[in-house]
Formats: sequence, C-alpha cells, structure tokens
Amino acid sequence: MRFEAPHEREAEKRAWLVVRDAYRLREPLPAPRRRLRPAVALAVAAAVVACVVSPPGRAVLGSLRRAVGVEPAAPALFRLPTAGKLLVRSDEGAWIVHADGSKRLLPGWRDAAWSPFGRYVAVAGPDELAAVDLDGHVRWSLARPAVRLPDWGGTRTDTRIAYLTRSRLHVVAGDGRSDGDPGGRPAAARVAPAWQPRRFLLAYVTTRGRVKAYNAVAGTVAWQSDTHFPRPSRLEWSSDGRLLLVVTHGKASVVRDGRVVAVRSGRVTAAAFRPGSHTLAAVRRHGGTSEVLVGPRVVFRGTGVFEDISWSPDGKWLLVTWPTADQWVFVRVAGGRRIRAVANVTRQFEGGAFPKIAGWCCSAG
Amino acid sequence: MWRPSADARALHAAQRGDERELERLFRAHWARAYRAAYLVVHDAAAAEDIAQEAFLTVIRTLDRFDRSRPFGPWLHRIVVNRAIDHARARALRGEVLGDGPEPAAPPVDGFDERLIGGLAELDPEQRAVVVLRYLLEYTPGEIAALLDLPRGTVNSRLRRGLDTLRERVGEEIR
Repeated sequence: MRFEAPHEREAEKRAWLVVRDAYRLREPLPAPRRRLRPAVALAVAAAVVACVVSPPGRAVLGSLRRAVGVEPAAPALFRLPTAGKLLVRSDEGAWIVHADGSKRLLPGWRDAAWSPFGRYVAVAGPDELAAVDLDGHVRWSLARPAVRLPDWGGTRTDTRIAYLTRSRLHVVAGDGRSDGDPGGRPAAARVAPAWQPRRFLLAYVTTRGRVKAYNAVAGTVAWQSDTHFPRPSRLEWSSDGRLLLVVTHGKASVVRDGRVVAVRSGRVTAAAFRPGSHTLAAVRRHGGTSEVLVGPRVVFRGTGVFEDISWSPDGKWLLVTWPTADQWVFVRVAGGRRIRAVANVTRQFEGGAFPKIAGWCCSAG
Repeated sequence: MWRPSADARALHAAQRGDERELERLFRAHWARAYRAAYLVVHDAAAAEDIAQEAFLTVIRTLDRFDRSRPFGPWLHRIVVNRAIDHARARALRGEVLGDGPEPAAPPVDGFDERLIGGLAELDPEQRAVVVLRYLLEYTPGEIAALLDLPRGTVNSRLRRGLDTLRERVGEEIR
C-alpha cells in the first residue's frame, strides 16, 4: 500500500526548518565530569588556600585573573565595552547611557523602550505615555490610566508603540496618533509585548498564558500558541523574526508560528537571543550560585543572583547584572573571552533599588 | 536504501552535533511519518503538525535516545498515537471533514482515493492498525508491541477494518 499524501513535499520543507531550528537550539547533555582523585583534590585545595592567604599568592591570583581575561571591577562605569547605548530603569526614572559612559536621566518615568533605530525612547509614567528624544525633550505624550510596558517597533518610515493599560493591550502610531485598543483583544498579562523586527506583528501573552501574534495592519491574530505559559516575564523575537523567546518561571521556550520548538529548563531566570543568530544566552541558578550560558557553554558564574542579561548590538558582549555584588559584568563571548566588571552600580543610578536594563541599542541610528 | 543501522549511525552523529546527519535521518523518515499521520487524521495540516511534533520529540530526547533500539518503530509509535488522539478529540468535538479528505497525489500500486475515503469511515483505532499494517508494513505482533495492545485486539481491529474497507471499496484487500 503506497501513496503520496497531499502537500507532502511542502510540509517536509516547512517541517525541516522547524526541526533544524529546534536542533540548533537544543541543549546537549553536559560532558561527563572527571573526578579528581581525593589526594590530588586535597593538594589542589591546599595550594589554593596558600595562594589566597599569602601576599605573593594574591599577586599570583592577580596575574592569573589577567591571564584569563578577568579584570578587577572598575569603581564606576567609565565607558561601555563596545558601540551602542544602554537604556536603564532605576527608582529615579529612565537613564540613557552612552558608549563613552555619559548618562542622561529622564526623570520620573517608570518603564522605557528604545525606538527601532535608537533615536527616541518610549517612556511610560503612572498615567502617561510619551516619546522623548535622546536629550530628554518630550516629542509627544498621551494621557492614559495605568500605562505600562511600552514596546516600539516598525520600519524607518512607519513605527508603532504597543503598551498596556492595566491588562488592556493598546497600539499607537509612532507619532502619537491613532491610539487604540486593537479589536478588543483578550486581556494581556503583565509582560511587555514585543514587535517582530521590521514588521507589524505583535506578540503578547494573554492573562490565561497563551501567546498570540497580532497583525496590527490586518487587525487579525496571525497565530496563537498551542501551549500555555504561566508567569511569563519576557518576550523577545530573534533578529530575523522567525523565533519568539518566551521566558517564564524557571524556563525559556522558543516558539515558532505558535509551536514550541525548543525549551531550556533547569531554573532559567533570564534569556536573550544573540543579535543576528538563533543562539540563546540564559541565566540559570544552582543553589547559591548563578551561571550564564551561551548555547551549551557556561561563560560566567558567580555567587548569588544574576538578574538581567542583555546582548550588545554587535552580539560580541553580554551584560549580566549582578545585584548580589552590586555589579554589572560585561562578558565578551566573541574574539577571545574577556570579563569587565563595574562596581557600585546602584549608587551610580541614584540609589534605591538595583537598576534594570531596558535595552542595549543600535550601533548606528 | 536506508537501513536501521544507518539510523543508528545518523543518530550517533546527530547526538554529537552533526546537523547533516540529522537531516539525513529526517529525510529518510518524514514521508512515512507524514503519510501515516495523514491516513489516520485525514487532514493535511493536522498530519504536518503531528509528524513535525514527533520529530521535535526526537530532538528533545536526542541525547537520551538508546541507539540500540530501532528508530523507525519508535517514531511511528509517537506519530500513530498522536494521530489517534487527534482523531478521537476531533470526533468528541463533533467535527466533520467538510468535503472529505483532500485528494492525494497520483496513486501508486493501486492505492486509490476510494480506499483513502474508505479509511476515513473507520474509527481511529482501526485506521491506525490498518495504516501500520499496510502502509508501514509492520506485522500484527509488531503493531501490538507498538500500541501496547494484545495481539488478538490488533487482529480483530484489522479484520473489522478490512471488512469495512471491502464493503466500501468493493474489491479484495489482502
């Protein structure tokens, strides 16, 4: 009994792309750990203690640090390690941090997001949404109750901002006009919606935990996820717009056209796509320590909690925020490993709570 | 011709990160998985979902897969069980196929549209057994192992399924 089913070859082509992406995103099992023999382990431990307690030992550790590319933490953020600018949220408002380390406070705004090419910032206060330029001048504003979590997407000629008011999803044009609640969509969970790069497809999570992709031009739902995502904390598209990352409590899922194609689990607390690729960076907690993985490789590990991760626009550096140590750590993951840490982060952003990264944007723009 | 030993080699290479070998494995098994799903659910989009989901299960469990076990039966077990679940769920929701199944590509070896239409009249469990026996060419004993069924149940489902098909198609089916 032989036959060919309808659409078999087209289905094969589509399915292979999905399966291939899932394969590229999978997390291989760790290599078996080699155990040190007890005597060797004791000797190593004794040598480490000797190193740490003696002044020459500290010097050895210093040169060892330099040899593996770990510099001592700088007392302040003198400059970013590569091009682009950071958007940071603190108790005082939103901050723009330029590559040379200079900072500008946009006071009083609670949430912030870059415009697609980094020329403006969408900011949200308790009852207002606004677009401001990099000098902090307000270009337009819109009074709305309980505005939160804007995301700005689009092309060089046409942009839209999505935002939430309580649990309603809204979309407004980049010039502040045509604000609307798109077609009575289901209530949205408290996680920033995400525009697909260079297109008007908006991903958001409903209060029931389903991810929907809303076509803001056609006013229709392009797809919805076939699974639920409890306690979502982040949505992010890959640069090519093919994959959507959904970070939930303890897990990062990669979704393509509504279907989960890969999952990274094991107490994942944050994740982000590397620009220009489908490689994931993820933060994972293990007891009292946290680690950052890029693909299957651990690139940085520390005691306590890592909170956010953010890729530099060129995809070469990863910013890891480390509230336990009051530090930001920049980890270079391309062209030779290097680690640059910045201490006293909370004080540099006017105290209060440890600041959060809202985006590292745009080499050019 | 693709052989089980080639599956084991491709799996081993894929476990070590060789994407080309994974693709080889996918290409070798896609058509049969998709056709089997299609013949159980009679819906091309659902069949694509089911077969694709089965391969995603392969990816998720790739590192744990025991290469001494044959890959094909393992994949077909996933496909057919998911297809049965899908068909049952659709029956429970009272869904009907609008204009019947979509026309298949030109038949080979006498497997024609009447037969495909006849399959749609069987219940999902009978359909699955007929597909496993005549499309994927498993023996009744192998089908029993694949679906966790007593062999007698497989034989009776096959017999009832073939009787119904014979009535529908009006010719001998061996």
